[in-house]
Parts: sequence; C-alpha cells; structure tokens
Amino acid sequence: MVIGEKALPIPAQEGLSEASLRGYPSAVTNIDTTLSTEVDSDQEIISRVIAGNRDAFGTLIHRYSDALYRHALGMTGSPDVAEDILQTSFIKAYHHLGEVRGRFDAWLFRIVANGCKDWLKNIRRSHLSYDEDDQPSNLTTPDEDLDRTELRHDLDSALAELAPSLREAFVMKHVEGRSYEEMADLLGTTVGALKMRVHRAREALQALLEEKYA
Amino acid sequence: MLESQNPQEGADRAAAGREAGRPANGAPLADREVPLPGSEAFGTTPAAVHAWLDGEASEADARLADARQVALWSRIETETAQRRRMTTPAYVQQRIMDALPQATPTMATATATDTSTVAAATQTSGMIALSPVSAVLAAAGLIAAGFLLARFVA
Repeated sequence: MVIGEKALPIPAQEGLSEASLRGYPSAVTNIDTTLSTEVDSDQEIISRVIAGNRDAFGTLIHRYSDALYRHALGMTGSPDVAEDILQTSFIKAYHHLGEVRGRFDAWLFRIVANGCKDWLKNIRRSHLSYDEDDQPSNLTTPDEDLDRTELRHDLDSALAELAPSLREAFVMKHVEGRSYEEMADLLGTTVGALKMRVHRAREALQALLEEKYA
Repeated sequence: MLESQNPQEGADRAAAGREAGRPANGAPLADREVPLPGSEAFGTTPAAVHAWLDGEASEADARLADARQVALWSRIETETAQRRRMTTPAYVQQRIMDALPQATPTMATATATDTSTVAAATQTSGMIALSPVSAVLAAAGLIAAGFLLARFVA
C-alpha cells in the first residue's frame, strides 16, 4: 500500500477548490436553483447573497461543508462539536460576507480552523470519539470491525495528545489528503515548516501507537 | 535593561548553549520548525518512511528502511482513508441554512464619507442624553449649589 500523496485520490476532488466542485450531491433543499447548468464562482455567489438572495449561500455551504467538516472532526474528535463549529463558522461567514477579500475558501477555512483551535484551548478534554454510525465501513468480518474500532479509538486518543498545530498539520495531510502546497496556502506558512510539523506529528503518533500496533 | 556590547560575552553564551544541547539562540531543538543545518536528524522514523508517507518514495524503499513502521502506517492509513470519505451529515447543511439571519449581509465599503459617518455616529453614541425635565432639575441643583457656596465663602 502506498500512503503518500500518490495514493490519495482526494485532494483534486474534495479539497477547497472551486474547480473541483462539480457533481456534489446536494443535501440542502433550498439552494439557489439558478445554478443547475454551470458552476458559479464564489464571488458571483457572494454578490448574489449580498444582493438579497439568501438561498444562494446554500451553494457555498454545500460546496465547502464536507472538507470543513472533516477538518473540524479531525481536530475535535467529536461529531457534535464539529457540527457546531461548522454551523457557527458559516453563520459568522454570512455576517461578514461583505468583507471577503481574496479567496473565499481560504477565508472560510481560517474561520473554521480558528474555531477548532479556540475549542481545543477552552475545552477541558475528556475522551471524545466518533460514533460507529458516523463512519463509512466496507469491512465485513466482526474481527476486522473490532480491530478497526480499537485502532480508531487509539488513534483518537493519540491525536488528542498532540499540540494543536501538529494535530492540524497531520489532519490536513493524512485525513483531508491535502498537498503541502495547499496546506501552506491555507495556513499562510511555508511548505518546509508544514513538513516539519507533519513529521513531528508522525513521530509522536508512532511513539504512542507502535508498541501496540507495530 | 541595557544590552551588553561585549562580543565575547555572546560567544560564551552560545558555547554554553551548545554544551546544554541547545542551538545558539537558546530555543530547544524540538521547538524549531526547521532543523538547524548540521543538527542531528529529528526523531526515530527513517527519512525513507517520511518520504514514502509524503508520496516522494516507494513503499519498497520504506520497507527496506523499517518494515515495522511501514506496517504501522499502513494500518493508520486504513483508518485515515475511512475518515477521508466522511461527509457532512445531511441535516447539518439544512440546519445551518435555517440558522442564518434574515438580514442580508452588507458590502463593506470603506470610503471617506462612510468612515466619517461611522466616526460621527460613534461620537454621538458616546454622548449623554438629557430629557428637558432632567435638564431643568440639573440647572436648579447647580444654582442651589452656587448659592450655598457663595454663603459659605461670605
């Protein structure tokens, strides 16, 4: 198995990039129906929202919520908290939509990322883990399922031990499947610095998990 | 505090830092995002494993470096791949739409006129509002205080 970027099919399809947003199934029922034939740019949608088309904002939610939800979930380890951070972030973005300068996706990502970091700062952490129903599963045997549940639990615990900046870098690289360049773009730092954070996160996770799993 | 101008003192501090396993500027190596040139490799994971995890080397190369770590990361990747496929629960998107305020967001236009209007509004909001009745009462109070002060001085 190859783990690195070559093996990750996701970034082009599921990253925060407008060009990759065609064909998402919609869970929002009242999104703007004028978008059926072509993908509008974020700026066009923002202009429509500011002009009074509140439902057009649903397109932006639909466009970016999955990637942001995965980030919030990876950072907090709790689906409930991730949902709350997502909701708060989108509402904050709606309030300040007229202030967007530059890339909306990067601006929105920073709102969510800051929400996650604030939560990590404020919470006195107890162990939080994903519910079984929240995970897609293609495993069939009970033994495999049990193994995976245990690894998931241990990985969550190990991630919770990491400093927020290391956890953020690891989640963006390995859970969200982003390239270092994309991460640097979103976080406003250098590829070298992010590589170092990811490497340090791996070292820490390995130290916590290798006795049991290696 | 005055900084010492003695160059030898700085060199001595740097030498003491190196002896304590720290770089010259005093920061622990573990806190540095980029290792210093010539410093020892960080951590226990072979570079080939990191390169493989970063998509820059083959799994065969990584296995040659440390097969156990490759096995561990393969298991972790199975879990992270599951997480990578997760999507937002459908009700969340609708819940966010329902929670949006009815008011339309406004365009932030920072023209000179707008700025002065905002400044004027801020100044006005800082003033104390007086009703006519309270103004009369305040004036009467001031006059009475003036009389009392005059009698006291006389």
